[in-house]
Amino acid sequence: MHISFLIHNAYGIGGTIRTTFNLAHALSAHHDVEIVSVLRHRDTPVLGLGPGVRLRHLVDLREDSPTYDGNDPEFARAAKVFPAAEGRFGQYSELTDRRIARHLRHVEADLVVGTRPGLNVHIARQTRRGVVRVGQEHLTLDSHSRALRLALRGVYPRLDALTTVTEADAAAYRRLRLPGVRVEAVPNSVPAPGLAPADATGKWVVAAGRLARVKRYDLLIRAFAEVVAARPDWRLRIYGGGSEKAALRALIDELGLYNHVFLMGPANPLESEWAKGSIAAVSSSLESFGMTIVEAMRCGLPVVATDCPHGPGEIIDDGVDGRLVPVDDPGALAGALLSLINDDAGRRRMGRAALTAAARFDPARIAARYEALFGQLLEEKRANRLRGALHRTRGALLSGAYVTKDAASAALRGVRTV
Amino acid sequence: MNTSTRPPAAGSGRMPASSGADGDPPGLTADCIADSAGGLTFDLAAPPDVRTTWSAALVLRLRGADAEEVRLPLGPNGAGGLRAVLPSTVALAEGRWQVYADLGDGHAPRRLLPGLNDLRSLVDRRPLAGIGRLGVRIPYTTKLGNLALRSWLRGPHAEAGDILVDREGMTVEGRLYGALPGPGAHVEARARRVAGQAATGATATVTVPLTADGAHFSFTLPYAGPVGHWCGGGEPWDLWLVPAEGAPPVRIGRLLDDVADKKQVFAYPAVPVPVAGTEIRVGPYYTLDNDLALRVAGPDTVD
Repeated sequence: MHISFLIHNAYGIGGTIRTTFNLAHALSAHHDVEIVSVLRHRDTPVLGLGPGVRLRHLVDLREDSPTYDGNDPEFARAAKVFPAAEGRFGQYSELTDRRIARHLRHVEADLVVGTRPGLNVHIARQTRRGVVRVGQEHLTLDSHSRALRLALRGVYPRLDALTTVTEADAAAYRRLRLPGVRVEAVPNSVPAPGLAPADATGKWVVAAGRLARVKRYDLLIRAFAEVVAARPDWRLRIYGGGSEKAALRALIDELGLYNHVFLMGPANPLESEWAKGSIAAVSSSLESFGMTIVEAMRCGLPVVATDCPHGPGEIIDDGVDGRLVPVDDPGALAGALLSLINDDAGRRRMGRAALTAAARFDPARIAARYEALFGQLLEEKRANRLRGALHRTRGALLSGAYVTKDAASAALRGVRTV
Repeated sequence: MNTSTRPPAAGSGRMPASSGADGDPPGLTADCIADSAGGLTFDLAAPPDVRTTWSAALVLRLRGADAEEVRLPLGPNGAGGLRAVLPSTVALAEGRWQVYADLGDGHAPRRLLPGLNDLRSLVDRRPLAGIGRLGVRIPYTTKLGNLALRSWLRGPHAEAGDILVDREGMTVEGRLYGALPGPGAHVEARARRVAGQAATGATATVTVPLTADGAHFSFTLPYAGPVGHWCGGGEPWDLWLVPAEGAPPVRIGRLLDDVADKKQVFAYPAVPVPVAGTEIRVGPYYTLDNDLALRVAGPDTVD
């Protein structure tokens, strides 16, 4: 297969970029894979991309580049195709509208895969006939504004498939009713760490993430005060930076935990830091997937996590390879942490179980799931095209959800203004 | 997802960093494994086109010193890469060391990029107290994204542990290496500079007794002493441990873990103290060299 990913900016840093690179790299073992980055502001990608994947851009934002596009008058005019309700709308323009449209009209691939809602809209509306259109949702439907949800519902029926990172989010998209669109949950992948797993001997609990409200590190710190009261020999490290840092620092001081709770600052790569711990903790009120949970498990740590929407409950098997606790309940979080702290054998057993269970997120296994999905979509597309041709020659009415959808999109293509 | 937990660091992860569009050679990255004795093993993911010779070496250069250089043999590691070992027995002067690879191919040594650092054996490092001289090396990533080492070489050494802060003062627990506390053991807080006294060359010193149990020590430093010397601005006080009457003083610091820069991570509350109609703040902190100090800061002082 020839697979073409469309991504906002492959030259930055972020979960979507990392997971797309992992997937593209794994798929490139057996397929022709390219990543098309709408924007480019740097010469080389910050995150490592495997050698088998081609990378190109559509709009050049490097000011010192001979092909710099920032002075194009179209660049200054607001986008018309990229939905206004999308979070990245401000970075899109008439120029991105035109370049993405041209790319999708001529794309050589068998499949195009969008990596965020606004790009999925482009793909649904502008991809040339015969190419399979796949949209990926890396966040969740319910994290989008009502305006964006409406925009997506109007356009997504022209996709062949939509993937989410959790079953819960897939169910939400199915409730949206997108006729003829296959909705599948495929989790993000996490590679095996490049160092030996944690040995569960260190008396450290480790957490990692943006210091943002949604991560509820205030709750974790309060829970850890209860842990310290019972087990003062255990300590907590929180990796990451963010706007909540000063507030968390003040809370640590207020609770007198400055010998037990440490704000470590950002770390890259994180796997070296997980390996220093014996338990991982996640206190979030919302996790669209739960990448850090899988990362910690791949390093052999049992994870104590809040059972928040959407990811943790689909990753952790409560009591087997980690613990799930109610959201917003520091007592329950402390209790679960202490149950692992006070049970060395149980902690080691859960850590080993986590290591085994997390192997299902290996890029090769996730790529195989995408490969199967893409293969089926491609087959269906070819079969439908044949059937469509047959129906047309007989002048018969088209029927069936897929065919109806194809016809609708063909009609829309006829009046396309872009 | 967790964007801000991951600052840019070229060459991280297991996929090699892409080469620049302008034809730069791809960066050479080194994975670093620490052992609990203070030794480090460097594994380089050498690209396949790199040929090395018998004279290949890992080169450590002390920042700020012209000639200070340590060369370690760089040979095959059996996994297709290159390996160099920095044993704990090789003394490295205190400071920041930049890490290069000289592949012996006639080209200038290449600056190494950080790969994976496995420093778990440093996290709760607790050497035998009788150790004569303590060597500590912690790999870290420089602001420009290169691999470097922080090094300390101390004997004796006074390692600070938990610090308890209250309104009256602070109590420090610790462990003494390479010396045993004897009669007359005490701690001296020395003002780094006190306005008005600089001219005479004398600096203010506050002395408090040391309690010891074997290698373990503790002391309480009431803030009243340093506060009494305050005459405006922000005043740092350095803390020294004198193991016995007449013994040379030992700087108190925190070195025995995997954190190269303690200042931001090991942070303590500063308590307000009313002084002569105004309010100053007093609290412990770690210096950029990870030594323990006390700051007495006036209301207008900016950290």
